[in-house]
Amino acid sequence: MSQPDILNQAFELGFTYTRSTGPVVGRFLTELRDRNIVGIKASDGRVVVPPMEYDPDTAEALSEFVDVGEEGEVVSFAWVKEPRESHPSEQPFAWAMIKLDGADVPMVHWIRAGREADVSTGVRVRAVWAEETVGFITDINGFELVPEEMS
Amino acid sequence: MMANLAAVVGIGQTKYTTKRHDVSIAGLVREAAVNALEDAQLSWDDIDAVIIGKAPDMFEGVVMPEIYLADALGCNGKPMLRVHTAGSVGGSTALVAASHVQSGSFRRVLTVAYEKQSESNAMWALSTPQPFSTHLNAGAGGYFAPIIREYMRRSGAPYDAGIKVAVKDRLHGARNPLAHLQKPDITMKEVEESFMLWDPIRFLEACPSSDGACAMVIADEGLAEQAPRPPAWIRGVAMRSEPTMYAGRDEVNPQAGRDCAGDVYRQAGISDPRRDLDCAEVYVPFSWYEPMWLENLGFAPEGEGWKLTMDGATSLDEGGDIPWNPSGGVLCSNPIGASGMIRFAEAARQVRGDAGDHQVEGARLALGHAYGGGAQFFAMWVVGADKG
Repeated sequence: MSQPDILNQAFELGFTYTRSTGPVVGRFLTELRDRNIVGIKASDGRVVVPPMEYDPDTAEALSEFVDVGEEGEVVSFAWVKEPRESHPSEQPFAWAMIKLDGADVPMVHWIRAGREADVSTGVRVRAVWAEETVGFITDINGFELVPEEMS
Repeated sequence: MMANLAAVVGIGQTKYTTKRHDVSIAGLVREAAVNALEDAQLSWDDIDAVIIGKAPDMFEGVVMPEIYLADALGCNGKPMLRVHTAGSVGGSTALVAASHVQSGSFRRVLTVAYEKQSESNAMWALSTPQPFSTHLNAGAGGYFAPIIREYMRRSGAPYDAGIKVAVKDRLHGARNPLAHLQKPDITMKEVEESFMLWDPIRFLEACPSSDGACAMVIADEGLAEQAPRPPAWIRGVAMRSEPTMYAGRDEVNPQAGRDCAGDVYRQAGISDPRRDLDCAEVYVPFSWYEPMWLENLGFAPEGEGWKLTMDGATSLDEGGDIPWNPSGGVLCSNPIGASGMIRFAEAARQVRGDAGDHQVEGARLALGHAYGGGAQFFAMWVVGADKG
């Protein structure tokens, strides 16, 4: 008797969903649409960007929004030599933790830079706004390096 | 079973509704939790552990939502545990929370369950297609309808027993401002003329899709005695499971349900549930499940559950001796993952004398019940105004 085939079959499963952002994340996204970045003040006085609904220490609901700058400083980064299709840039770029002016914690985004050597910890960057903003994190179409003499 | 005494000292719910687009999932869960803390006059610092439950992740498409909800529930530095038992999860979650206290390991535990059906796809995510299998693309109603038909055949129940339950629970719900469906003028005729969804289940014999969350604070005996508001003492807890399908399984009157009820009654010293209990909050998502569970839970002999329903024994408005679902039940509000916990919490509200217009007068002992999966997971508790 021949060995039976062990069958397998690819299968895809998909459903449609909706999501409500709530008053805090929703405000952050709405402000992005208006080309403005907001954080929120935590119980210890730190400004957290993007804002979170509940304080990480005390669990209290947070509501004190703070405008932060669209410029900031690179806290750390990782250079992507060969971007993949799903990456935000077709050219090599840097994923980075960026501490915006007025914020106390860094936010993850990406930096347009010609060469890895142009990016370093402490370098200044500025948000590049998308041509059309819709209320999504990609309304910031990456950050660009701020020339040193200007910063 | 040797367990320490525990009691419900705080209850919080959201108003159940079709869409809560004003809040995130975290905001919804948070609202119930804050309401429970306020009811108990406690703060986040007073909570030793958090036990959360919801229906399967695929319903809202948020994988492991407990990760994202930890900060909303003040879990920083505390144990947090997620419970999974399909539709019965709200009940089992409350029982896991209770056992944390009964074991003596924790003094005060917050437990929360929720569903945001407006953001979910519960209907289809409930029964996913799989390769090499025939797809039961029927939703919950399609699964339970044939079981109900078998109950009707066996019991010879009149065709309108389900219609009667649908009216009765909506009249109960009209007394409860938190209930989703508010239908104070509903009639038998209106239910009968509503369209057939899954024969014999008509539209108005089925539960709604709701957004909502329910939370409770459970405390040990010492802390419960000092609680500012009357505690609901947990007098019995039981869970049972059985496989969805096996040859000879009685899906109309599942063994696991009967055993679970027997266990929880024994712990609470109940020999005749209809006589000994003052009311019950029982998971009835489709009207016919009231007569079916009346039998499964021992309130009526097999084949005679529908007689209690038809006689008005389970109706507040008809002055019944054993009101079922005075809150309006799942037929009025169904945030799936929370629905079991709402039954447990509403049972506790009754014995705390805190049920407002749907209070069963003088209720001292109440049953909370949940079932889930293919009617294969059962969770029950009995709560009392007295320690026992």
